[in-house]
Amino acid sequence: MVTREDIENIALLSKLFVDEKDLDSLTEEMQKIVAFADTINNVEVSTGEFDNINNLSNVFRADEVGESLPVEEILKNAPEQAEDHFLVRKRA
Amino acid sequence: MKYELVAGFETHVELQTNTKIFCSCTTKFGGDPNTHCCPVCIGLPGTLPKLNERVVEYAIMAGLATNCEIAEIAKMDRKNYCYPDLPKAYQISQYDKPLCEHGYIQLSNGRRIRILRIHIEEDAGKLIHNHGDTYVDYNRGGVPLIEIVTEPDFRSIDEAKEYVEKLQQIMRYIGVSDCRMQEGSMRCDVNISVRPEGSDKLGTRTEIKNMNSITNIAKAMEYEFERQTELIESGGEVVQETLRYDDATGTTSSMRSKEDAHDYRYFREPDLVTIAVPRDRVKEIQARLPELPEQKFARYTEEYGIPEKDAAQLTKYRSISEYFDKASEGLKSPKTASNFIIGQIFRRLVTEADKESFDIKTTAEQLNELCKLLESGKLKNNLAKTALDKMLDSGKPVTDFVSESDMAGLDDATLTEYCQNAIAAMPAAVADYKSGKEKALMAVLGNVMKQSRGRADAASVTAKLKELIG
Repeated sequence: MVTREDIENIALLSKLFVDEKDLDSLTEEMQKIVAFADTINNVEVSTGEFDNINNLSNVFRADEVGESLPVEEILKNAPEQAEDHFLVRKRA
Repeated sequence: MKYELVAGFETHVELQTNTKIFCSCTTKFGGDPNTHCCPVCIGLPGTLPKLNERVVEYAIMAGLATNCEIAEIAKMDRKNYCYPDLPKAYQISQYDKPLCEHGYIQLSNGRRIRILRIHIEEDAGKLIHNHGDTYVDYNRGGVPLIEIVTEPDFRSIDEAKEYVEKLQQIMRYIGVSDCRMQEGSMRCDVNISVRPEGSDKLGTRTEIKNMNSITNIAKAMEYEFERQTELIESGGEVVQETLRYDDATGTTSSMRSKEDAHDYRYFREPDLVTIAVPRDRVKEIQARLPELPEQKFARYTEEYGIPEKDAAQLTKYRSISEYFDKASEGLKSPKTASNFIIGQIFRRLVTEADKESFDIKTTAEQLNELCKLLESGKLKNNLAKTALDKMLDSGKPVTDFVSESDMAGLDDATLTEYCQNAIAAMPAAVADYKSGKEKALMAVLGNVMKQSRGRADAASVTAKLKELIG
């Protein structure tokens, strides 16, 4: 059962602002999402251990250095930047 | 009432791979800000991580070297928290299926520090705080780490210090990390609580985060032990919290406010598949592990009869022990090589960094040659010492400084001649000796040694002098 407090807590952990008036509808929506996961849980599984659909394990990369991007590219979408750093402003 | 310290360690060790854990950016320390970055390690949407095979291998090596069991199946999980050092707002780590579990490190007092687990994860970026603003550099973001977690098995600060030193030594020997605490490639968090001596219940613990030197770890633990003891004695209660140690004031202070509830909401990382470690892979890695410091120490002390204090110095860094192993090959007494290393060679290596890099001009083979000449009696001890100094200065072999005639020793006629010269030159000393002052003969002996340029053997000179003086 998802409660209003759960929504408030998740919002706090995710650093999201949730308006008081949206809490009820969000609680209801979240309840539906969790219920969907319950549906999956209820499916009978007889094949034992299931990991992923392609039955893959050990997908590795060799330890070889490749190209990094120039700093301009890295910072291109940064909301704010200074001296080649991402800049996070002090919050009031 | 007497109180007992109880502590456990969480140690982050940066792995010395070429590339980051999930992308092919370099792991080189330093570099201009945000130049070792790509869409994967700055967490752009639509990118996929791909696990560096060497990270798994190094973690298994670390596990084997600390007596851990290696998991047959391991997986990666997301640890969620919002902070600017994590571009994705989650760290890819391992939660309930770490690569290594149930190991231990043996301390010199006979106690074992149990290792609960070793898991792999990505490092976070570096934050520079400036007037309330935060500058973020993601060069370190995605650098591979292992986190080594112990049980709360420490009962003293000395045990903690020895553990950190041993861990450093082992990781350096197997070559998975340089463990430089000052550069942050090894960082320790300590969980610490106190309880009345004899009690088997654990007290409420606090966690001191991110300490970057063994000295600070010791000081912080001492401060925190005193603080908690005083708090309990005065009727207070220890609050479970995360602390920061301030080097300047020597005190700890609270790091996180209570509103910042700990809830990492771990879940399976859906972008990475299972890690399977077949047993023959474990065996193959085990076979490649070098001889560990503990095993070397046992060999040096038990087989070679080297004093424990010397053996500890020889095994402290892999570079030194490997040099010693080569220099002592085929010697009747490996101690001969050990004495040269710990005496004359160490005198030239002032700092710990000098000792660790062991950058000297004389090769192990050259020292071995010198030791063999000494053992065969061809070279006298004092001549060998002088030769070694010249060898260390120049990097040239012993044969450049010691001639065939030096090694041949002195024939009886020459020895007699030198002794006669000395007796003639030092009548006062000879008279003293004759009147019963045994020690006066030393001066005469010195004169002979000087004439022979160290080639003479002290015992035969003494015998010859006594014979001549009568």
